[in-house]
Amino acid sequence: MDVVYAIENLTKFYPKQTSPANNNISFEIRQGEIFGFLGDNGAGKTTLVRQMVNLLRPTSGCVTLLGKPVVGDPQHVAAHVGYMPQMAHALNNMAVGEALYFTAHLRGMSRADALRERDALLELWQMGALRDKYSTRLSGGERRLLRLAVAMAGRMPVLILDEPTNELAPQRRRLVWDVLSQINRERGTTILFITHDAIEAEKVIQRVGIMRAGELVAVGRPGDLKRHIDQKLRLELFFAPDAPPQLPAGLTPHELQPGHWIALIERREASALLERLDLEGLDDFRLYSPTLEDLYVHYAA
Amino acid sequence: MSTMPLDRRGQPILVQWWDLFRMELTNWRWSWRGSLLQGTITPIFSLLALGFFARDSGREALLYVVTGNIVVSLLFGTMTSVESRVSWLRFQGGLDYVATLPVRRSAFVLAMVAAFLLLSLPSVVITAVLGPLLLGAPVHIHPLILLVIPCCTAPLAGVGAALGMTGRTQQASGNLTFLLMLVMTALGPVIVPPDRLPGFMVFLGRFSPATYAASALRQVMVGPVTMRLLVDLLVLCAVTAASMAWVGWRMGRQEE
Repeated sequence: MDVVYAIENLTKFYPKQTSPANNNISFEIRQGEIFGFLGDNGAGKTTLVRQMVNLLRPTSGCVTLLGKPVVGDPQHVAAHVGYMPQMAHALNNMAVGEALYFTAHLRGMSRADALRERDALLELWQMGALRDKYSTRLSGGERRLLRLAVAMAGRMPVLILDEPTNELAPQRRRLVWDVLSQINRERGTTILFITHDAIEAEKVIQRVGIMRAGELVAVGRPGDLKRHIDQKLRLELFFAPDAPPQLPAGLTPHELQPGHWIALIERREASALLERLDLEGLDDFRLYSPTLEDLYVHYAA
Repeated sequence: MSTMPLDRRGQPILVQWWDLFRMELTNWRWSWRGSLLQGTITPIFSLLALGFFARDSGREALLYVVTGNIVVSLLFGTMTSVESRVSWLRFQGGLDYVATLPVRRSAFVLAMVAAFLLLSLPSVVITAVLGPLLLGAPVHIHPLILLVIPCCTAPLAGVGAALGMTGRTQQASGNLTFLLMLVMTALGPVIVPPDRLPGFMVFLGRFSPATYAASALRQVMVGPVTMRLLVDLLVLCAVTAASMAWVGWRMGRQEE
């Protein structure tokens, strides 16, 4: 399988910071794969992808797209990669249809093809009713869908998406994963995205990279990585956010959100641990076999 | 599975410019309020206030008020709108969108300046028509005004874009623009004839593009057109080129 992106020893220091935002990162993205990046806030994921689309200059190391270094030739990345930034701000004062049409045309489509592309994207992203609405007047979720559609406009062979499901309601999150899966299957689009939505992303991710404190701590197929933790179980605890429960010694949870912790526990220790758990202090608890989110917790927490 | 096309190309630069120009023209959806208020109403009120005051100082002073306030229209309308637009792009991630499209930075900067040039025209025309009528100071329009108005607008749009790329925050850019706007209006013979200004202000005015814009407008609205017009236009073109080159360079400078 052809290599689309090759990242070699990439290190990034921001001015006046002593620890690197990215530290000696190396990996490859192959043609036609869906690659997901997981990691806590501040782990360096956005810094990494901004260097991949040439919006940020690496301190050292090299990013190569289709065999050509991205630094020094912004047109090369722009011609092949559709990028969706983390913040889904309005696109100028353009209407939704205008933004899609101009983006597709500027990316090389003929005017007639760009109009067809606009209509196809409006249908694909279920935004037909928003065609003439100004992007400044869209809701946060609608803007996110527009930025996704804009990233794809012009049938870009590579997509880099920074938190594509952020701010989206469950129904639209499902739409995002379905559409990404569909274009990957039908067009062979290579897709790299950052997400905190590990459980839903598991449906489409083919390979995953997990980042912690600027380092890429694990890369591989979820199934392969899970083997490292298959002797563990996932314990989820739900409680009133202002009254966290007392936990037995040795149980170190990771907070997903206030009032919702998860922890990985050894399979053989599960029943003893549950006996010592203060069930009175919990609203609910659940025990599962490991998921992609547990991989994330295992490597990143 | 399709294979990766290696020869993808964007559009030729003129097509890029045309698309970007049309995209930038969509700014009328917000800028018309500023153009109307700052680019038309402000100079008209300034024109009325200063005009009645200058009436006793003779026709020349009145004509300075008329032509000077067209420059005020460009400063308050065009320069501030372009500055707002560029700093909004910078701080709201809009430049990332442009930077990840296969377009030349120069095409984008030229498209933005050209769009705001067109958007400023209604304010300029209204001020130019109403000014002489309100003050009773008839003007004699030279056909070269068709060249002079774009040459006066472009450098102020360019300076606005440069200011938008400069501030550490969106508010800092806005404050700097407001300050510079007042300084450029006051320095040099823009609204007030040079013989009514202190010598140091006339001298400092030589470093402000507003002075050259006002001089060029006076020659094509009042006359006579002299070789000074050529000098004015050359300076205005140089300011346009320098500011746009600087904006293009700043846009291309990746985050460190």
